[in-house]
Amino acid sequence: MRRLIVRQIKSKNSKNLKQSKMQKEEILKDLMYKIADDQLIIGHRNSEWTGVGPLLEEDIAFSSMAQDKVGQSWAIYKLLEDLGETEPDINAFTRNAEQFHNSQLVELPNQDYDFSLMRHVLFDYAESIRFEMLALSSYEPLAQLAQKIKGEIKYHVMHGRSFVRKLGTSTEEAIIRLQKALDYSLPYALGVFEPSKYEDEMKQAFIFEGEKILEERWKEQIETILKGTELKLPNWNDIEPIYGGRYGIHTDHLQPLLDEMTEVFNVDPTAEW
Amino acid sequence: MSLESLDPRVNRLNIPDQFEDEVQKKELDQLTTFEVFLVPKEGKALESVGIVHADDSEMAFVFAKEAFSRRFTCVGMAVCPTHKIWASEVTEGEESAFDFIESLDEQNEGEEDQCEIFLMDKRGKQHKHATSVLAYSYIDAAKKAKEELGNPLTKNIWVIRTRDFTFNEEEDSDLWATLPEKTYRDAQAYRAADKIKKFKESQTK
Repeated sequence: MRRLIVRQIKSKNSKNLKQSKMQKEEILKDLMYKIADDQLIIGHRNSEWTGVGPLLEEDIAFSSMAQDKVGQSWAIYKLLEDLGETEPDINAFTRNAEQFHNSQLVELPNQDYDFSLMRHVLFDYAESIRFEMLALSSYEPLAQLAQKIKGEIKYHVMHGRSFVRKLGTSTEEAIIRLQKALDYSLPYALGVFEPSKYEDEMKQAFIFEGEKILEERWKEQIETILKGTELKLPNWNDIEPIYGGRYGIHTDHLQPLLDEMTEVFNVDPTAEW
Repeated sequence: MSLESLDPRVNRLNIPDQFEDEVQKKELDQLTTFEVFLVPKEGKALESVGIVHADDSEMAFVFAKEAFSRRFTCVGMAVCPTHKIWASEVTEGEESAFDFIESLDEQNEGEEDQCEIFLMDKRGKQHKHATSVLAYSYIDAAKKAKEELGNPLTKNIWVIRTRDFTFNEEEDSDLWATLPEKTYRDAQAYRAADKIKKFKESQTK
């Protein structure tokens, strides 16, 4: 009788264990897809400035950072591959818009440089805090990656901060244009922090402290940087976040971006370049 | 009519194929220049790598980081406004730039300043950091460097006050941490010649 109970408990435990392992993988995939997709799409968008940037030096800097972001997305798609997902190129180049989990902020067309710059600043601050948090993740591969790319992201934030400080205290035209870009971007920027299905589970498993904490820290940092400029931050409570991206709901701009991004891949999936 | 291009990004910009008014740029309508220096590897000397246009040292550093250290390796960087550099005569052959400084007058008044001395050993080569000296003036610094370094043959001397540099913070040396992995930024890594050779061989078979 005792033996039977023990056996029952054992089998129940291993079933629980298996279930919890599966659930942990689901949580990780959910988290990593949205990060990787954000990096890939903003990387592609920012790379559209290559060759047509406002200054030669800035053209090089913005292009390099775009390349870093695509590289970071590759590294996360690689971690997803380790969890059984398909290889990075196929994963990045064969999904349709509704299968992407990026925030809508990153898919918006570049428009003028003021918007691209403002988006870069708002997004990169969020990214930098996110990776700071992930450096403490219980999921070792993600923590190691976060640690590894710390310096890259530090530069991206340094670049954006320097630009906004400089332009945000310069001419009237620059300040008006940046203010307009800020007002337009903020609802989308808050969309970056759209809660996932697994906020509680993620926290309990020490994988990630969650979007809410990230959002709070981000708001503090954005307030600090804008304080050093002539730009005015609206009351956070008056801004309605634009959600949906994390669940595959996108603007009409994402699919054309994907079509353009996958053009070479679609002609020859085995091409090396 | 908009400018038509094979590049979809250019088409999206809706650039007119002709501008009604020629835009006249004002003379010298550009940002000032900063000289960029980097330490390529731990233990190596700071060396000049080129210039960037920027509004101030902070922006110069931001631009310099990608303009000059997006490839190979780098462990530290500094920028200084070009106009803050004192440069000697440039010499040829066996003539040394140090030969020309003796006749220059110096005013040794006030306080001494720490100066960094950079030498160009061959024409067309980069200026490399040779030593630091405490001096009253640029010329005083060059003369002190000449003595300290044992009058080496050099084609050009730069003297820069240490305080005119903007260096990266020590804790920011991780800005370049992943650089050695970015071989895709180096044309050599693509081994294009090998691929072309292989392709040609496959065509002749």
